[in-house]
Amino acid sequence: MNYVEKHISLEGEDLILNNLRAIFWPNENVLIASDLHIGKTAHFRKHGIPISSNVQNKDLERLSFLVDHYNTKKIIIVGDLFHAEENSDLGLFKDWRSKYSDLIIILIKGNHDRLKSEFYNKLNIIHYNDYLNVYPFKFIHEPKKVSNEFLISGHIHPGIIIKSKGRPRIKLPCFKVSNSQLILPAFSEFTGLAISENNETSICYAFTETSFFQF
Amino acid sequence: MSKTFLNSEGYKVIEQWMNSEGNVPFKFQMQTWSKFHNGYSGMVIAPTGFGKTFSVFLAVVIDYLNHPKKYKKGLKLLWVSPLRSLAKDLAKAMAEAIERIGLDWEIAVRNGDTSQLIRRQQERSMPDVLIITPETLHVLFSQKNNSRWFKSLACIAIDEWHELIGNKRGVLVELAVAHLLRISQKARVWGITATIGNLDQASKVLIPYPKLKTIIIKAKETKKIKVIPVLPDKVEVLPWAGHLGKNMVSKILPIIHENNTTLIFTNTRGQSELWYQIILEADPDLAGLLAIHHGSIDKKLRNWIEDSIADGNLKAVVCTSSLDLGVDFKPVDCVIQIGSAKGISRFMQRAGRSGHSPYEVSKIYIVPTHSLELVEASALKEAVKLHRVEARQPMVLTYDVMVQFMVTLAVGEGFKSNELLKLLRQTHAFNMLTDEEFAWAIQFITQGGNTLKSYEEFHKVFKDHNDIYRVKSRRISMLHRMNIGTIVSDAMLRVKFMSGGYIGMIEEFFISKLKPNDSFVLAGRVLELIHIKDMTAYVKISKSKKAITPSWMGGRLPLTSYMSHFLRKKLSDALSPGIRERELRFLHPLISRQNKDSHIPKVNEFLVEKINTKDGFHVFMYPFEGRLVHEVISALIAYRISKIKPLTFTIAMNDYGFELLSDQEIPINNTNIKETLSKENLMSDVIASINAAEMASRKFRDIAVISGLVVQSTPGTNKNNKSLQSSSGLIFRVLEDNEPNNLLLRQAYTEVFDQQLEEVRLKEAFERINLSKLIIKESNAFTPLSFPIKVDSLRQSLSSEKLDKRIQRIQAEVYKTNQ
Repeated sequence: MNYVEKHISLEGEDLILNNLRAIFWPNENVLIASDLHIGKTAHFRKHGIPISSNVQNKDLERLSFLVDHYNTKKIIIVGDLFHAEENSDLGLFKDWRSKYSDLIIILIKGNHDRLKSEFYNKLNIIHYNDYLNVYPFKFIHEPKKVSNEFLISGHIHPGIIIKSKGRPRIKLPCFKVSNSQLILPAFSEFTGLAISENNETSICYAFTETSFFQF
Repeated sequence: MSKTFLNSEGYKVIEQWMNSEGNVPFKFQMQTWSKFHNGYSGMVIAPTGFGKTFSVFLAVVIDYLNHPKKYKKGLKLLWVSPLRSLAKDLAKAMAEAIERIGLDWEIAVRNGDTSQLIRRQQERSMPDVLIITPETLHVLFSQKNNSRWFKSLACIAIDEWHELIGNKRGVLVELAVAHLLRISQKARVWGITATIGNLDQASKVLIPYPKLKTIIIKAKETKKIKVIPVLPDKVEVLPWAGHLGKNMVSKILPIIHENNTTLIFTNTRGQSELWYQIILEADPDLAGLLAIHHGSIDKKLRNWIEDSIADGNLKAVVCTSSLDLGVDFKPVDCVIQIGSAKGISRFMQRAGRSGHSPYEVSKIYIVPTHSLELVEASALKEAVKLHRVEARQPMVLTYDVMVQFMVTLAVGEGFKSNELLKLLRQTHAFNMLTDEEFAWAIQFITQGGNTLKSYEEFHKVFKDHNDIYRVKSRRISMLHRMNIGTIVSDAMLRVKFMSGGYIGMIEEFFISKLKPNDSFVLAGRVLELIHIKDMTAYVKISKSKKAITPSWMGGRLPLTSYMSHFLRKKLSDALSPGIRERELRFLHPLISRQNKDSHIPKVNEFLVEKINTKDGFHVFMYPFEGRLVHEVISALIAYRISKIKPLTFTIAMNDYGFELLSDQEIPINNTNIKETLSKENLMSDVIASINAAEMASRKFRDIAVISGLVVQSTPGTNKNNKSLQSSSGLIFRVLEDNEPNNLLLRQAYTEVFDQQLEEVRLKEAFERINLSKLIIKESNAFTPLSFPIKVDSLRQSLSSEKLDKRIQRIQAEVYKTNQ
């Protein structure tokens, strides 16, 4: 699998942004991702909208690659691991979990994570309702406008739009970083983008299949 | 006229009733009644205001009076009309007639506005006549046991067929007619249409059934239209789009005051907001007597405006195509068209909104927004004189509509695949449907895609043990019913005062660019954005003088090819205008300057201008095919030139021509121009010069909604569907990756070629150019033809104040070099 990395430093910690839509934190040997929305394609299918489960499989393949590549033992997911109800996509995830049974999975629950606790327990997923502090960061699902602590969050699926004189415009997902927070792009490829006006206080690390761009 | 008909009891009753009211039937009405009497189906062509409704409606009444025993209780006449706004008045007119004639028929309306209570009542006991929209009719097909309602139908009438034939709503109608004819063996089909260029085809598309005897009945009566171009005080030799606007208001005010009620048509919602402000500023006394009407204004407010027009309480209404059609307003005696109408039939339709009664003259003023539009005025005058109206091409093989229809039937009574295939192939739209395509559609709605394994849990449509395809899930049925129809609107937000009260709707695209405290104009009011929540933009009245006028998407109407034909002809005539062509003589200074500095292209010529200025090297070409086609041609020419010499271009265009601008000499000359404009390899070069995938992805938006791949979010409806929200762009990508053979993808590309690239028209344009004499003129200053294009391109990149200065500078420069 092809990938590109971008090293950044936040609060004195080195972080590696990966264009496969996750962050690796070498000091803690932990992979960070957000908004996997597992079960979304099956949820659509159940409601009569045919979306292939290949889409789900490709996301999981990407996750496998990242775990293997960084040889990480732990992954923190800042919310929206599961999209909706228990469905056939979750079966695919269970299979995946049994292949990576030693991996420690920590979930900070997002607005979509509404399954019962037993379900997470059965899959051996450590879950928090609100947030988790791992110095110097606070892991949380939804970004906040003001914060004394440095937040790492997701939820909004940040993206940027590049306008050129001729059409068409190009939309790219990005990692959005300000002095007090980092917002991850959605890990799932079956998600839309929230395009925000770029202001001077934040930097967007947008990416394509082959490179990172800083805005 | 057959004697049996004239002697029939039914006809005598109607004749007596009409005589008692002092009316005499028009000949085309008599013909329609008589042909219906003899078992015919057909198409009635008549101008508005001449009682075309009563031609078909009374035909059924007469037949009923003649053979009351043949008619059973329940629905006799299904009246399909594309316009909701028309239904109420139509029902009123029919009910009045029925009462006077002395029948006890019940006339009812059913559309998106009909309440649940009334719907349930209708379902228990259907009225004798039901006025319905194509969409609501399809919703009826999705009900359980719906065919019992249609068994006794005597006539299916399709009103305003010209409004339907060119789009997917027309396909909905074709499918509905085919379906109804299967349920009700004896029904006849009658279409009613205004004049269009392809009447025979229009009739065959609606009624392609060999078992029906079909006739076309054309009214001899025509509407007289008086076209009056409004001339500015002096002619601008270098015209720039929009510039004339404000100066022309002094010409508009007297027209408003001289007439009872004037409709002022603009081409976009943004323009209507602007003109509303301009007119009020020029004449504050009109406050309260001037209204604004367009598609984004709250429905209640629009209804109120429409009622006020009908009651004669308004002096003038600034509007968009929102008032092109619909109820005829008796007090309206004058119409003003601001800017180009872009098409002949649209222009005539708008003109027809004034002088409603038969034999009254419709009066329409054309107010140009730049001097060159006077050429258009002249072209319109000629087209109206010659009664040349555009053809409307029917759509075929719209798989999205087909898939929707299949699921509609599956939600309703279910279908058998062989019967449905037969039904589809009877229609014009799906006459060429192959077995493979139909099999794909069945697979798409039952399995989701090619590889069964990837579509576990997809169970939209099942085949039951009797081989009938059905939808079982109540939730899928509900989602589908909400989604029936082919009108896909942009994501809209409601605009609401903090203190309560709706103002209207606005595109998400526009409002998302605004920040809180920004001001914008809607419904003639300056509003300040407070915040956005739950698909609603909360606002208050702004104190700010400056505000942004929203540019609604899709506001730009394409120039029709008929219109371009007349334009080229008139421009070529302009050097020696006829006696009656006041507007062309007025333009003479501009025309002669163009002729002196460059050239006036004759009908058999094609003009290319090479102009060098401080900005760089410009090439202007004038195909007169409209902005949309020029978008394609300009990209193509840029591509072909860049094969000679790699260059970067800035491209600009208007309805008349386009500009390529580069910082280096553009290698166009007499030796290579023929090749650059050649029709050889046309489509392959076009494909190389555009991003077809990107265009198809945009076209896919409507297709995805119609076929049920994207669930539309509409303000005010339930938010439970949030977890099913996705963008069509995303689905497009997923399908291209996983189901490249999906026919809906192929349809998106086909629509790009037919509608965006207008393949047929593009080929015709190049055929014409190839037969033309190519003329290259060089100049060191902008010419009257090139200047408006230049201004339009500046407008896009500069704020308006800077623009004014810039234009002044250019104008001054031109005069310097020319004097």
